Amino acid sequence: MPSLDIPETLEKIDLDLPWNVLVHNDPVNLMSYVTLIFRRVFGYSREKAEQHMMEVHKRGRSIVWTGPREQAELFVQQLQSHLLLATLEAAR
Amino acid sequence: MKLQPADDGALMLEEIPPFLFHLLSNITVRASSRDPRVEARFFPDPAREESLIEDWKSLVQPELQFLFQSARETVQADLRGASVEDGMYSMKIPRKHADAWLNALNQARLAIVEESGFGEEDMASEVEPDLEDERAMALFEISFFGFLQECLVRMQE
Repeated sequence: MPSLDIPETLEKIDLDLPWNVLVHNDPVNLMSYVTLIFRRVFGYSREKAEQHMMEVHKRGRSIVWTGPREQAELFVQQLQSHLLLATLEAAR
Repeated sequence: MKLQPADDGALMLEEIPPFLFHLLSNITVRASSRDPRVEARFFPDPAREESLIEDWKSLVQPELQFLFQSARETVQADLRGASVEDGMYSMKIPRKHADAWLNALNQARLAIVEESGFGEEDMASEVEPDLEDERAMALFEISFFGFLQECLVRMQE
């Protein structure tokens, strides 16, 4: 069934695209708490975690990780479990 | 109120006046809000993609709900273990419960902000507790819970 090959191929390409995990600013979460969560979830150094935290604070959002979609979804779930405003989007 | 780390990594809260203990007892009440604005903040859409949002609501959201509920129950259990002497309360947050407290305190703070419609300016303002002023009390609760969170974060580092 050749007609089915096209969507399958497209789907594969889509899944293979890198995805960004974003964290958005909110006035509630403490800076120290956000830094702690970044260190825990991504294993970042304190310095790198603080850089992302400051980017969230000053620019309203930060791309905290980029990679395969499945892993990105898992990270968003983990961040949301700590009540951080996290989303994912295709890195295009 | 005195806060100090114990040898076993627990956080000891001592000489808690009844007013502050009442606020602590309110953490789970605040965090259990059913206000739609609070629900929306606790369970934000993960993306714009409709299919992912649907999957998220059916698969991930129940897990998050369970986790948040579990954190609240842990906090409630620790509060039940508080003792009172000469009108002042004492209690212990075991090291292994620190994450649950951080989570529940965050839930409570977020819920208050959503229910009260506070923005960045409100959060930055300094307030004194005033039982006659609902807004001032809400801001004081946020500030007090934030202080506890900060102590717990420092103990994690």
